[in-house]
Amino acid sequence: MERNEGETMKVDIVVIGGGASGLAAALSAKSDSNSVLVLEREAVLGGILNQCIHNGFGLHVFREELTGPEYASRFIEKFTEANIDYKLDTTVLSIEKPEDCFNIEAYNTEDGALTIEAKAVILSSGCYERTRGQIKLPGARVKGIMPAGSAQRYLNIDGYLVGKDVFILGSGDIGLIMARRMTLEGAKVHGVAEIMPYSNGLTRNIVQCLHDYDIPLYLSHTVTDIKGDNALESITIQEVDKDFKPIPGTEKMFDVDTLLLSVGLVPDTMVFETLDIELSEITKGAIVDHTYQSNIPGLFACGNALHVHDLVDWVTIESEKAGKSAKHYADDALKETRRLLTIEPLNGIRYTVPQFVDVNNFEAPITIMFRVTNKYDVGTFTVKQGDTIIQQKKARFIAPAEMESLMIKPDQLIDQTTPITIELEVKS
Amino acid sequence: MIDFTIIGGGVIGTLIARELSKYNVSILLLEKENDIGNHATLANSAIVHSGHDPKPGSLKAQLCVRGNSLYESLSKELKIPLIFSGAFVMARDTDEVETLEMLYQRAIQNGVKQVALLDPEEARKQEPNMADGILKVLDLPTTKVTYPWEIAIAALQNAQENGAQYRLNAKVTKITPLEEGFEIEINEDERINTQYVINAAGVYADELGKFVEQEMPYKITPRRGEYYVLDKKVKGFVERVLYPVPSEKGKGVLVVPQVHGNILLGPTSEFQDEKENRDNHSDHLHWIKRDSEKLAKNIPFDLIIRTFSGLRATSTYSDFYIQPAKAYPQFIHVAGIDSPGLTAAPAIAEYVVNTLLNADETFTKKKDFNPFRTKKKPFHESTLEEKIALILDDRRYGNIVCKCERVTEAEVVEAIHSAVSSPTVKGIKKRVRAGSGLCQGGYCENTVVKLIARELKIPLTEVEYYEKNTAILWKETKVKR
Amino acid sequence: MEKKSMICIVCPVGCHVTIDAQKRVTGNRCKRGETYAIEEVTNPTRMLTSTVRVKSDLTTRLSVKTSHAISKKLIFKVMEALEDIEMVAPIKTDDIVIKNIFDTGVDILATRTIPH
Ligand SMILES: Cc1cc2nc3c(=O)[nH]c(=O)nc-3n(C[C@H](O)[C@H](O)[C@H](O)COP(=O)(O)OP(=O)(O)OC[C@H]3O[C@@H](n4cnc5c(N)ncnc54)[C@H](O)[C@@H]3O)c2cc1C
Ligand SMILES: Cc1cc2nc3c(=O)[nH]c(=O)nc-3n(C[C@H](O)[C@H](O)[C@H](O)COP(=O)(O)OP(=O)(O)OC[C@H]3O[C@@H](n4cnc5c(N)ncnc54)[C@H](O)[C@@H]3O)c2cc1C
Ligand code: SF4
Repeated sequence: MERNEGETMKVDIVVIGGGASGLAAALSAKSDSNSVLVLEREAVLGGILNQCIHNGFGLHVFREELTGPEYASRFIEKFTEANIDYKLDTTVLSIEKPEDCFNIEAYNTEDGALTIEAKAVILSSGCYERTRGQIKLPGARVKGIMPAGSAQRYLNIDGYLVGKDVFILGSGDIGLIMARRMTLEGAKVHGVAEIMPYSNGLTRNIVQCLHDYDIPLYLSHTVTDIKGDNALESITIQEVDKDFKPIPGTEKMFDVDTLLLSVGLVPDTMVFETLDIELSEITKGAIVDHTYQSNIPGLFACGNALHVHDLVDWVTIESEKAGKSAKHYADDALKETRRLLTIEPLNGIRYTVPQFVDVNNFEAPITIMFRVTNKYDVGTFTVKQGDTIIQQKKARFIAPAEMESLMIKPDQLIDQTTPITIELEVKS
Repeated sequence: MIDFTIIGGGVIGTLIARELSKYNVSILLLEKENDIGNHATLANSAIVHSGHDPKPGSLKAQLCVRGNSLYESLSKELKIPLIFSGAFVMARDTDEVETLEMLYQRAIQNGVKQVALLDPEEARKQEPNMADGILKVLDLPTTKVTYPWEIAIAALQNAQENGAQYRLNAKVTKITPLEEGFEIEINEDERINTQYVINAAGVYADELGKFVEQEMPYKITPRRGEYYVLDKKVKGFVERVLYPVPSEKGKGVLVVPQVHGNILLGPTSEFQDEKENRDNHSDHLHWIKRDSEKLAKNIPFDLIIRTFSGLRATSTYSDFYIQPAKAYPQFIHVAGIDSPGLTAAPAIAEYVVNTLLNADETFTKKKDFNPFRTKKKPFHESTLEEKIALILDDRRYGNIVCKCERVTEAEVVEAIHSAVSSPTVKGIKKRVRAGSGLCQGGYCENTVVKLIARELKIPLTEVEYYEKNTAILWKETKVKR
Repeated sequence: MEKKSMICIVCPVGCHVTIDAQKRVTGNRCKRGETYAIEEVTNPTRMLTSTVRVKSDLTTRLSVKTSHAISKKLIFKVMEALEDIEMVAPIKTDDIVIKNIFDTGVDILATRTIPH
């Protein structure tokens, strides 16, 4: 792709981010007759998987258990074989859509300012970690408080431990994985506190990362004070009641130099701030129909940039679909006018992705992913249109941290106007 | 012997240094921290108040109104952001309406321009997100918002460009009056001599004052103010600074649009004995929520990205204490500079240098004083054509380090080597905003750490977050135990 | 031995399995759960993932794993052994970093491709 400084480049489909999601989307978006360009700000493809050196990836897609980098490698190989264009060390700063096409502005040191015109855009820029400010931690504002993923990057990519005596707030998977990793590398992890009465991490991670190394897990606890002069010296945790209010008298103090936060991830939608895109209050990602198209025609989203996933396998599956839709869109094979049927989360369901079915483009079975609001041993998910049950599925060990999914076929719909609802029934 | 020693590198000390650098005198500014603008100057509401609030006739009233009028040219000379936001003071009940009318009179008396009382309907047209139930509004169009610590950095840089010197990590530990001038002890081991001392040490001004006063004319009791910061996505939620009607506790919790689009909610107001404690308390943060809702409705609290707090140097003297020491006319206290100290700062500098020191008579003016600070236009403010030109000139402009705030490698490297530099993660953040966005450095801190290490040729483990003993990394793994 | 409950960690499903004195396993959704429960009471093993130093343009650490699960008791010994290693790029996924570590029959393998 020869071009002069400042000259606009034309591509059918631009993929923003070359992680698990972007790679899968690009692979399925590419055909002999179209051009696809992946833009990745890091020096390598693979995204967050490169720092997730633990195993547990790929059970659904490959029927085997891989480490993050291995999972990424498989897609990177396929991707390079497919001869798809990509640019590394390239950051997208904005997308605009003045008319029919998208204008994308990206930067790197080689091309300088890249302006790209594209028919369709796939947003697969991953997510960022919630920070101290967002969860409004009280106490001294000192050095030594860091999102767990940042510490993971320092440790697994750069080879540095951020601290010696560590406490972890939040029992999400990243926190649990880091508890074990830091212990193995010579740090002392004093404990993990979780404000909920149950852990948000996968059970296997509680067993393998905490129990194996005698790291205590304090459920229904949160950090209520932070002390230190410039650098962190100690933290206090407290038990909370059912309204999450700290219970006086339950204070426990730990002398630590590091507090890792594993308190949630948020889809990174920064690059399309300039577009008038509808975002979900709950997922914080775009609101999409089953083709993963947002309210902006030609803008598709998938992976952690759409909603945060616990398993990369679901990222891959979802992104392949988004990629395929983008291809159809660029080929003009997707019907332009959408007719949206709402998928409404009811009892016990926190959100669904997609949030709509576009009945005008509903020809093959679709997967609806969703999360529940609470933890249950057994339950039944019921999909209805009005009072008519169109699908039912029993499930065990239901937890908010784990994504659930359901398949709906076009012929299951009773009509094209009655909203679809999903609810969870549990026996008490 | 140095002519002037200024103690304290906040907005007051640095602007005084700049004002003095107009004259043929030698100047040394001493700051105990490893960066300037670390204290009150770093943690405040950033408002250039109109001057409606201070008691008529007070130094606060005089210098606030004068300071406000100086800001436009100051921002041009020092190239610091300034927005002409205006402000509303909002009364919720009849008592408050009465106070508001009194404030209106006071504003006029203090010389504030363009003030007006508005009916709520009129006010709502301009601020649709104003809270419901407001009875009357005082309109203060001259209120502005600035970027406080950049003023300190810029003022010191400009002073330096005009010959002034400064030292970081230089804590004044003792002051001894001599027959001629003073001896200043730095970090308990080094001594220098000076003709004049300017005491601009913020909350510590009273402790330094004790070295020259038989009986201290003021005592400083820090008053803490805590804040929430909303992400710049909220830009446009309000255009103006929203104030409640002040009470005996002070100005109260405000809603303040910031120069980069963020919004501040706060501050609280709590006296404390310690001069360092800047902790955040969850119940205090609760009050902020409660009180800010009295000013604006539908505040998007889910866009809170951080909390912080600052200490006002409130003194027992009811006004700014800007006076020579009782027995030593060459020692000037610039103390008790709480709100509206930021607003008044350029006027305070003028007052100290012109009025108290009578500089025009005592010293000669520099012929080649250059009031303009050297500063390149930030990448994020540049047009596409300018960006292309920047990158052609230096490829490192093409490497985006912080995508939230659109900061490039070239700018980080320049900040590391800048004239008034503090090559720490936060020092860089203060200068180029890398890490100020939604992810709060979650992504870019890693790169900033590496760039600092590379540029200073130090190991990664020596890169500090901010103050002493704040290295980000503990140790390298996989090196023989 | 009494009945023992545990959570199967072979895969992310995390079945709650129970093993009794006769080594009869219940609660598992697949065969691997049974093997796991029996091993867990006889010789518990774990996969170990870590890093070693690497000379390359892209990164300073290479991610590695054990080719099979190793005895829990060996984990810290293996971690120590990894400190002695320095690899040089190019490296491909599955390249052997240490062969047959501590005579366990288990290799340490690279899990990432580093081309240069
Ligand atoms: C710490 C952690 C541990 C996990 N552990 C497991 C596990 O054990 N098992 C499992 O199955 N799943 C796990 N997951 C989940 C799974 O790995 C992720 O959900 C998945 O890899 C996300 O892929 P993605 O492509 O959506 O995001 P990412 O991998 O984050 O990719 C996004 C890419 O976009 C790039 N990018 C972002 N913005 C821009 C821009 N403006 N311009 C250019 N490029 C940009 C980024 O650099 C990045 O490479 C884990 C996730 C995390 C975060
Ligand atoms: C919560 C809050 C909100 C405010 N809001 C506003 C507002 O909206 N508008 C407004 O106009 N004003 C406001 N103010 C007031 C304004 O911020 C201050 O008046 C101003 O920043 C004071 O600057 P300074 O230089 O005197 O103090 P500082 O910035 O505190 O500087 C003093 C410096 O002296 C140094 N120092 C102390 N002791 C020594 C020593 N022994 N040796 C060497 N150095 C020493 C310190 O390290 C420090 O850097 C607010 C203040 C606070 C705290
Ligand atoms: S029993 Fe089978 S399905 Fe259940 S956790 Fe173990 S391996 Fe997974």
